[in-house]
Amino acid sequence: MALTDYRPDAMRCTRCSYCKFIPYDLVKSARFAEGCPSIKAGKFHSYSAGGKLVTALSLMDGRSEVTGQVVDIAFKCQLCGNCDVACKMCRYDMEPILALREFRAHLAELDRVPESYRPLIERTRAAMAGKGPRTPADRNAWAEGLGLKDPAKEPVDVVFYAGCKYSMEESLRETVRTQARLLQLAGLTVGLFENGCCGGLADKMGYRAEAAESGARMLKQWADAGVKTVVTPCADCRHVFTRLYPTLEGAWEDLPEILHTVELVDRLVKDEKLELTTPVPMTVTYHDPCNLGRQGEPYQLWEGVEKKIYGQAVVYDPPRPRHNGAHGVYDAPRDVLAAIPGVELVEMERSREAAWCCGAGGACREAFPEYSAATAGERVEEAASTGAQALVTACSRCELNFNEAVAADSASSGPASDLQVHDVLELVALSAGLAKEAS
Amino acid sequence: MSPSYAKPTTPAETAADSPQIPDEAYRALEDIVGAGNVSRDAAVLDGYAFQWLAELVRPEQSHYMPRPAAVVLPGSTEEVQAIVRVANTYGLKVKPHGTGWYHWSGPIKDEDATLQLDMRRMDRILEIDEQNLYAVVEPYVIAARLQAELLPLGLNINIPGVGCSSSIVASACAYHGAGPDTYFMGGNAENVLGMEWVTPEGEIVRTGSLGSGDGWFCSEGPGPSVRGICRGTLGSRGGLGVYTRCAVKLAPHLGQTEWNVRGAAPAYRLPVHERMRVYTLAVPDWDAWAEIYYRIYDNEIGYIFHRQFNLAGADLAAAFWLMYNDPTKKLSDVPDMVADPEIQKLTEELRISFQLILQGRSKDDIELQDKILDAILEEVGGWKVERFCEKDMAEFTNVYLQRLGHKHINFVWAGGYIGSWMQFGTPDWVKEYIPVAQAGLERDARDGKLVQCGGDAMMGSGSGIPLGGATGLEQFVSYDPDDYESTVAGIRHMEDAVKDAASIEYPPGKEFIYLQIGWTDEAIWKALASSKQPQVFRYQAQIKAAFDPNDTGDRMYPTLPLELEVS
Repeated sequence: MALTDYRPDAMRCTRCSYCKFIPYDLVKSARFAEGCPSIKAGKFHSYSAGGKLVTALSLMDGRSEVTGQVVDIAFKCQLCGNCDVACKMCRYDMEPILALREFRAHLAELDRVPESYRPLIERTRAAMAGKGPRTPADRNAWAEGLGLKDPAKEPVDVVFYAGCKYSMEESLRETVRTQARLLQLAGLTVGLFENGCCGGLADKMGYRAEAAESGARMLKQWADAGVKTVVTPCADCRHVFTRLYPTLEGAWEDLPEILHTVELVDRLVKDEKLELTTPVPMTVTYHDPCNLGRQGEPYQLWEGVEKKIYGQAVVYDPPRPRHNGAHGVYDAPRDVLAAIPGVELVEMERSREAAWCCGAGGACREAFPEYSAATAGERVEEAASTGAQALVTACSRCELNFNEAVAADSASSGPASDLQVHDVLELVALSAGLAKEAS
Repeated sequence: MSPSYAKPTTPAETAADSPQIPDEAYRALEDIVGAGNVSRDAAVLDGYAFQWLAELVRPEQSHYMPRPAAVVLPGSTEEVQAIVRVANTYGLKVKPHGTGWYHWSGPIKDEDATLQLDMRRMDRILEIDEQNLYAVVEPYVIAARLQAELLPLGLNINIPGVGCSSSIVASACAYHGAGPDTYFMGGNAENVLGMEWVTPEGEIVRTGSLGSGDGWFCSEGPGPSVRGICRGTLGSRGGLGVYTRCAVKLAPHLGQTEWNVRGAAPAYRLPVHERMRVYTLAVPDWDAWAEIYYRIYDNEIGYIFHRQFNLAGADLAAAFWLMYNDPTKKLSDVPDMVADPEIQKLTEELRISFQLILQGRSKDDIELQDKILDAILEEVGGWKVERFCEKDMAEFTNVYLQRLGHKHINFVWAGGYIGSWMQFGTPDWVKEYIPVAQAGLERDARDGKLVQCGGDAMMGSGSGIPLGGATGLEQFVSYDPDDYESTVAGIRHMEDAVKDAASIEYPPGKEFIYLQIGWTDEAIWKALASSKQPQVFRYQAQIKAAFDPNDTGDRMYPTLPLELEVS
C-alpha cells in the first residue's frame, strides 16, 4: 500500500469528531469520555485521526509541506486504535489506523521522523546485523534455570516468545518467568528460540523494511522447526505476529497459531489443566491492552478493490474484512480473573474496545516519554476511581508505564498512590500455588 | 527524496496564496494563549479548512474552505476577549467553532484573513443545578458528556439532530435544530438561559438574569434581554462574536439512571426501563402519517419521537439496520439481504414508519400511555413493526435515540450526505411536499451518480416544538465526495430541490443554506431581498453596525445593506 491508497479515506472523512472520543454510546461520565490521547495532548484538530488524514491529504494535494509540526502530528500517537473503533461505529469505508500507519511509513521513507527515533532505529539495525549490545543469547537470560527446550532440536508443545521488554527489563523478569512456569505447571513442554526483536518497534516507527526483515527471520525459524503454536506474554508482539507477519510474502499459509499467554492459560483453566484454588482476596480492575483488545481481533488478509452498489454506495470486492474492535480478546483475561477465588473485578468506564491507552504504544514510550507518561497517568487515575486495589493488565509495555505512572502519582500524593500494578498471570500463579521464586 | 503523490483532484494552494496574519498580530496571540495554543502551520490550518460540504460549494469541488490565517485555542473568556480585540486591531475576521462540523464552521471568503477559534480547551461543565433544572457549560462540552452526568440525577438534555458529538453552546447560542427529544424537552434555541457573549468588538455581555448578577436562570431578564439580537431563530453560526458560556434548561428523565449499555460494536443495546417503551410504528400512507402525528400531539404521549431509520432509504432501510445490528455483517451484505423475501416483506411493513419512546411517571402511567397508543394505531390503521420492536432492536433503538451517538451514519453509504428539504410546519403541510421530495430524489439518482435507496430517505423529529405541533422531514441524499461526478450530482440535486419546492410554492429547504455558502455577497443579498421578510436582514445590518463596527464577523450572520432597494 501507499499513502495515496488512503486518499479516498481522507476525501470521505467528514470531520465528525467521533475519532476524538470513545464510542458515544459508551460514555458514562464527562471525565472519562475522551478516547484519543494524541489530540488530548496536541489539542489541534490535526492530532485527531481525521485531522491526521487531512494533514496527509494536504501534503498529497501540494498545499503544505512536511514541517516539524507535521512530524509531531504523525508520530505523537500511540496507534492505539480508539479512533478506528469510534469511526467504524458508523462507517464501513474508512480504515483510519491503517492510514495512520501508512502516513508514518511515508514520512520515514522521506526521512522525516522524530529525532528521538534515530538512535532507536540505529540500534535496531545494529542488532539485526549482529552488532548490537545484546545477542539473542543475552535476551534469553531471563529463562535461566527454567529448563525451556530448544525447539530447533526437540519437539515442544508451544514456543514461548518473551519479547524485548520482558527479555530485557529487570523489573519484569519475575512476571515473565512466572508465565513460563505456569505453562510448565500445566504440563506443557515449552520451547525457547534464540532470536531478536519481532520487528514491532521498527514497524510502529514506520521503518517497514527493517520490520519485514525481522519478521522474515522469525518466520523462517518457526518454519524450519515446524512450530505449531507460538505463545507470547506481550500484547504488542502478538499484534505484530497476527497483523504484520501475515502480510509478509508467503507467510499467510504457514503462520503457526499465535496466542497471548492469557489466552492459553484461559484454555488451560477451562480444560482443568490448571487448578486455581488458593484465594487471592483482591479487588482489581482490568486494563485491555490496545493490541490485545480492540486490535487483537482475528485478522483476515485482504486484497481487493472498491466497487459501487446502488449507484454510489461504497463496498469492496471481495468483501473487505471488518476489524472494528467487536471481536478483540476481551473475555479470556476476564474469565481467568473470574476463575481466581477471591478476586473481584470492577470495570473502568473505558474498557474493552473503549479502553484508554496505557501511553506506551506506537513507539511513544521511547520517543515521547512525557506524552507517554501523561497518557498513563490518565489511565491510573481512571483505575483508581473504581476503588480497585490493583490495576491488572496483560502487556509488558502497559505494566511498565503504569508502574511509573503510579510512582509519579505517589510522589505527588495523587489518587492512584496506593494502586498496585500486576500482570493478570501473576494472580493466576498465586492462585495456582506457584511458589514465588527467591529473588 | 521528493514525494510522489497521485494527481491532486483539488486545486493546490500554498500557504503564500492565503491571507497571512501579520507577525505582530501573531505574537500578540501567542502572548494571550501561549505559543502552544496558536498555529499558522499550513498543514494544521488545512485541518480547519477541510470541511464536509465544502466540495459542494467551492471552486473545482475543492474539499477545502478558505484556509484560516491562524488557528487559536483560547482557554477562558478573557482570552477570547483579548483575541477578539487583536482581530479588531489588525483587521482580521474571527470564526469560532465547537467541534466544527459543517462547511460554514470554517472561513467563508478567500480574501479574508480569518482567526479560527477552536474552543476545545473550554470544555468544562461548570454547574448542574438540580433544583432549578439547568446546567452551565463551556463551548466544547458536547452533548454526550453532559447527558452522561445528567442521567444519574434523573435529568436529561435535548440533543439536537446533529447528535451528541456536538457542542451544547453551539446549538443553544449560535444555531438551531430539533432532535428526537425536542418534542418532550424543547429545542436548545428555546432552552438557552443566561449566555456569556464576547461581542465582535470584544465586549463581554452577560445576558438575561446573568447580566443583573442574579444567576443563570433566565434568558430575558432581569438584565439585558438581547437573545433576539445575538441568536434570533437561526443563530449567528459564528458570524457575530463568540459565546463562551451558557446555561440550558434540563428535563426530567424518569427512565434508567444507570447507563448500562452492552453488546458488541457498532450496535450497542440499552435495556428498556420498566417505565419506558420503545416502538417502531408504521402507517399505510402519508395521510395516516399526518393523522397519527396529530393524535400523538393531542394525547400528549411520548418522550422521544423521531423518524430515524428511513435515513437509509425506504427501499433499503430494513436490510441496512438488520445488517448493522449483526457484528458479523458488512455493507456488502445488504444486496443479498434485500433479496430475502422475509426482508422484502419487512421493507414494506417499515416503509412509512417512525420511532416513539414512551416514558411513564409510574407503572400505571406507562400502561395508560400504551393503551392510548394502541387506540391511536387502531384508529389510523397503523401498526407496531414487530421485528423492530423485538428486544434486540428495541434496545438498540433505545440507546440510539436517547444518546444520538450514531449521527455519523448519515454518511454510511458513500461518505457524503446532503440534507435537502426539511421545511418545517404542520404534518398536513409537510405531507404535501413528501411526494415531490420523493420524486426528486428518484429522478436525481436515476443515473447512478447518487445512492439509489428509494425516494423516501426522509428523517426528522416528531416535533420541533415542545408538546407537538410542527415537524419537518429532511431528505438524506448520499453522494461520494471522492467522486467528482457524484459530487456534481449532489450539487445538481440541491439546485433541483430548490426548484422543486418552488414548483409547489414551498420555500426552499435546508439545501438552500448549504448552497449559499458558495455564493457571492450580491447573490445572497438578492436572495435575502426577495425573501418573505427582508426587513429582518436590514434590521440585522443595523445590529451588525452597532456591535461589529470593524467587521470581524463573517456573513453567517446574514444582513442586507441598508442602501439596497427592497421591494
